[in-house]
Amino acid sequence: MVSIKNLTFYYSGSDKPALRDINLEIEDGEFVLLTGPSGGGKSSLCRCLNGLIPHFYGGKITGKVEVNGLNVMKHSTKELATMVGMVFQDPENQLVAMDVDSELAFGLENLAFAKEVIARRVEEALDTVGIVSLRHRATSELSGGEKQRVAIASVLALYPDILVLDEPTSELDPKGAEDVLNVVERLNDELGITVILVEHRLDRVVAHSDRVIVLEKGMITADGDPRSILSDGRVSQSGVGIPPIIKLAQAVKSKGNLIDNTPLTVKEGRIALAKALRHSEPFASRHSEPFAPRHSEHPSLSLRAPSLPVILREQSDRRISPLRAGSGVAIPRPFAIAQGDNKGPVIASETKQSHLKPLIEVKNLWHVYPDGFVAVKGINLKMCPGEFVAIMGRNASGKTTLVKHFNGLLKPTKGDVILGDINTKEATVAELSRKVGYVFQNPNDHLFCDTVEEELAFTLNNLGVKGEEAELLINRTLERFGLMQYRYQYPRFLSGGEKQRVALASILVAQPQIIILDEPTRGMEYRLKAELMKFLDEYRREGRAVILVTQDVEIAAEFSDRVALLSEGKIVVDGPRREVLSRALLFSPQINRLAQALKSYGVSGDILTAEEMIEALT
Amino acid sequence: MVSYKYSDKGTVIHRLSPWCKLAWIACVCILALLFDSPVYLLLLSLSTLPVILTARVWKEWLSVMKFAFFLCLLIIVINALVSNQGSHVLYQFPFAIPIAGAPRITLEGILWGVGNSLRLLAIISAFTVLMFAIHPDDLMLAMVKAKLPYKSVMVTSLSTKFVPALIDDAQRIADGKKSRGLELDKGGRIQRVKSYASIAIPLLSNSLDRAVQVAEAMESRAFGSGQKRTFYKELKLSKGDITILSFVFSSIAFGIFLRCLGQGGYQYYPVVEAVSLTASEWAMLFVLLLLVNTMPILALLKRKVSLG
Repeated sequence: MVSIKNLTFYYSGSDKPALRDINLEIEDGEFVLLTGPSGGGKSSLCRCLNGLIPHFYGGKITGKVEVNGLNVMKHSTKELATMVGMVFQDPENQLVAMDVDSELAFGLENLAFAKEVIARRVEEALDTVGIVSLRHRATSELSGGEKQRVAIASVLALYPDILVLDEPTSELDPKGAEDVLNVVERLNDELGITVILVEHRLDRVVAHSDRVIVLEKGMITADGDPRSILSDGRVSQSGVGIPPIIKLAQAVKSKGNLIDNTPLTVKEGRIALAKALRHSEPFASRHSEPFAPRHSEHPSLSLRAPSLPVILREQSDRRISPLRAGSGVAIPRPFAIAQGDNKGPVIASETKQSHLKPLIEVKNLWHVYPDGFVAVKGINLKMCPGEFVAIMGRNASGKTTLVKHFNGLLKPTKGDVILGDINTKEATVAELSRKVGYVFQNPNDHLFCDTVEEELAFTLNNLGVKGEEAELLINRTLERFGLMQYRYQYPRFLSGGEKQRVALASILVAQPQIIILDEPTRGMEYRLKAELMKFLDEYRREGRAVILVTQDVEIAAEFSDRVALLSEGKIVVDGPRREVLSRALLFSPQINRLAQALKSYGVSGDILTAEEMIEALT
Repeated sequence: MVSYKYSDKGTVIHRLSPWCKLAWIACVCILALLFDSPVYLLLLSLSTLPVILTARVWKEWLSVMKFAFFLCLLIIVINALVSNQGSHVLYQFPFAIPIAGAPRITLEGILWGVGNSLRLLAIISAFTVLMFAIHPDDLMLAMVKAKLPYKSVMVTSLSTKFVPALIDDAQRIADGKKSRGLELDKGGRIQRVKSYASIAIPLLSNSLDRAVQVAEAMESRAFGSGQKRTFYKELKLSKGDITILSFVFSSIAFGIFLRCLGQGGYQYYPVVEAVSLTASEWAMLFVLLLLVNTMPILALLKRKVSLG
């Protein structure tokens, strides 16, 4: 049991409190989801629970934190280790031993348990987390998801009553995240361990939690059961990413339709919506006139491997109710957008390929790494001005290898990558950087100058842009990214979202025609993601191309207009997002899974986002 | 690409107790320092090969040796330039340096460099076994058992663990720089040093972040709890290991004995000696090298027996 009374904490050297007047009681066996914008105090609160604050991080602290009746101020982190198990964000930086079983034994050894006890508990922890098969593996060879499960097992071996997980999935791919969350849920269900989980992406975990707490600016701004918290409008204002299904339910409700309860899962959503569709007048009357997007036939749509059963459903259900243009039926707005009707210079990808000179042309690209790993196997691809392409695929499917060819960081083993009229084989990365901007996942890898302004000037200087012209570009870019006020600040001290913006600005100041982002949204809160996407969308409207490497289906569904799905170094499917995402099992957004299930009610099976669904239903 | 990381190749050498391997490394080092004769040193260097081959770490060994050869070359060149006591003058520089006198290259100077390079090669070769054939956890445990303070041992072991992460970091940062138009490999020497220095700042800052995170994670798992730590894994010595250990120790003793008999000595200066070994000296040397190589032989035999 955790009890926090009037807790206020300042990190040393800071005059803003990281936590402000926190009052909180957490019962044994509860599953608590802790969320809120970055810099809101989530990590700080976690650190208070096992005494890292104030014993490891100094500062000014008032109030009281009690864990199982022990005052955290008086008991050190080491003493609390058997009560509170902490799992951190970065799987790399919390494993200390060479192999898995030594990792699990580490805490127990520190607490001087007898060898026999250690042996037994290591065994138990391996079993509980389901990683017996990893036991003798070297920790450095594990995948991110496996590492994170090892980290969970290693704290579990200490028999904690409370498990605190600080964004355990933000560095993981969807599969790894799923594995980790499954374990956490089981520990809570079966062993009754209290779970305090910090997460940005709520759609996966919210159904399992008993309670959601929102922390903002160091204060608890919402605390209660998930259904009521997430349907509260104020919470969504704070930048918490409301799962699409809840957004949808809200909208349907606000239109005066009956939805008994806020659905948290696709299943609940399916049942609730089906019920609403059956009973409510406005929906029922539309049965005969199914809602569906207007499709143009695109012969050039490149479904490279239509026989792949896992990725693609049968071609036969591609068009549920094709309504031809001009048939007199009002076309829902979002679909019109997809057609490029009101997006100005944006041209639907399939028509573009024939008309415009491509910005990037990849011809039979192969890449073999020095260790013999064949990462990319014969890829052909064209990208045109104004395109927003999402490159998706599992881990190690060749996504990053592919895009690293676009700015010459990697050179083809076989085949060619042509940028306009330059073959990347014949140019250095620096030369190509005039045309192609590449933003790495971690903004920390980008930033090294003393001020934000210098960060931008560095890029321009490398490209030979100096003097007034540079000044003008810097001013314009700072303005555009809302960074004017940070102009003379040290970039590394900015918050996560601001850092990401500086990193992006430092690339875009050179106005490259193509911008590549490698997993920019991983571990990012919803508000920042949406902001980033807005910038990118503006950018591509200027006739440039945006390439987004991502595993975030919801982002791809909402913002891209073309999706290329990679698997084992090959493009499995490449086409308009609607074609690709509504037919993918692994990579389909939540709302699409719902739409698929509601086909019998006349809902089109290729709806991807909550907004489209709302539009289609009303 | 050779990864400079331990990987368990499951050979008989990897299976041996770390004590045996440590003793063997110590043995090679002691013998390398004991003898001066280039013949002895050459054969000693070569006699580390059976262990390397049995442990199947020759690829790693080769890449380390490439580096070692450069080091040796440097030793030979520098020694040839600065040592001028030899009597066979090969080249006399036409100028004189105050105090140091007129530099000259002598046969003795070069040979001394070659002889000592052989010594170095034997030692480095033995140490590749330490790097690539002893499990780092075992090594750590052995060091703790040898009464080195646990915290220092842990820190050393951690720092080696994070080297690959550091290399990845550096690569990513360099890629980031290049993507922002920096020509890392162009420009004058000073420009290049400057370019590479700009990698150091984010690298250092990332490493500090990492250090804090690792410390936090260790703290949360009761590291340094004040109690006397226990160890889950033990270093067990089987009978076979003890046999091997005794052979290794006897080879050290035998080496010392030979040296006391006056064998294996050598003089470079002032006049280089002729290398001549009597039949009995050859025989003794052969026995010594055999003793040094009892470890791989016995390890292989042991497996044969246990399989049979």
